Amino acid sequence: MGEHKREFRFFTVADWEEEEAYLSQRHREGWRFTGVRLPGLYGFERCEPQEVAYRLDYNPEGRAHREEYVQMFSDCGWEYIQDYVGYSYFRKAAPASERDAEIFCDDASRLDMMERVMKGRMLPLMVILLMVIVPVLIAEGQRTGPFSRFVTVVYLLILAVYVAVFIKFGVAFRRRTNAK
Amino acid sequence: MDAHIRKVYVPMTETGFYILLCLRREQHGYGIVQQVKELTHGEICLSPGTMYGSLSKMEKDGLIRFVREEEKRRIYRITPLGTEVLDLEMKRIERLYETMKEAR
Repeated sequence: MGEHKREFRFFTVADWEEEEAYLSQRHREGWRFTGVRLPGLYGFERCEPQEVAYRLDYNPEGRAHREEYVQMFSDCGWEYIQDYVGYSYFRKAAPASERDAEIFCDDASRLDMMERVMKGRMLPLMVILLMVIVPVLIAEGQRTGPFSRFVTVVYLLILAVYVAVFIKFGVAFRRRTNAK
Repeated sequence: MDAHIRKVYVPMTETGFYILLCLRREQHGYGIVQQVKELTHGEICLSPGTMYGSLSKMEKDGLIRFVREEEKRRIYRITPLGTEVLDLEMKRIERLYETMKEAR
């Protein structure tokens, strides 16, 4: 058994490209990704440094028909690693070209994936924001005292993360729509 | 053909066009990938995420239908609606080609 390590990383639902780059970078440094589990613990094992493309897909339809979904990817030379909070993780060693290192070959299908993320993840987030975070902030705003202030600060921080995620996702989505 | 189909598929993406073209014969997703590679002399290589997404979308929209499963691969075939859309697209590309030739 080789050497193992774990790293904690936080990627929001809008950060899949950063996450792909992170996993490729580790592999380039000689750490092969073995899996991720909540709340963002990434496992690695020692390996030969190599150029490996990591890609994340978000496809509920594919998760529901995992065998044939994974078969399609493996036919095209992609190794399936795991599912994690809605995303499916794939990798391909030493892709022949930039095109060969992509799981989407046109902007229409990239946009389709973003729409699936929007429906599957962003809308539920929006509901939580409107039903939990905003009401708490309004209620705490009317109270005084150190605990209330603490709760307010925590919820404001969560709100800030929310806003950042929404803006990031919105910008990426617009960019793709314009490109199309 | 309803407004939704018209809006999404006329005109359609290159990927969509090749999928319908290949599915005039029963075929699974990876079969389409290989056939398109051959047809275009390696110029076009369809990616699995795009293929899987497009096939399920087109099946939902009734352009293609699921025939059977073979070794974990779903085999599809074009429907009459899909043929109608493909004909429209072929006519559009023909017109485009004619116009381009005249303009040259």
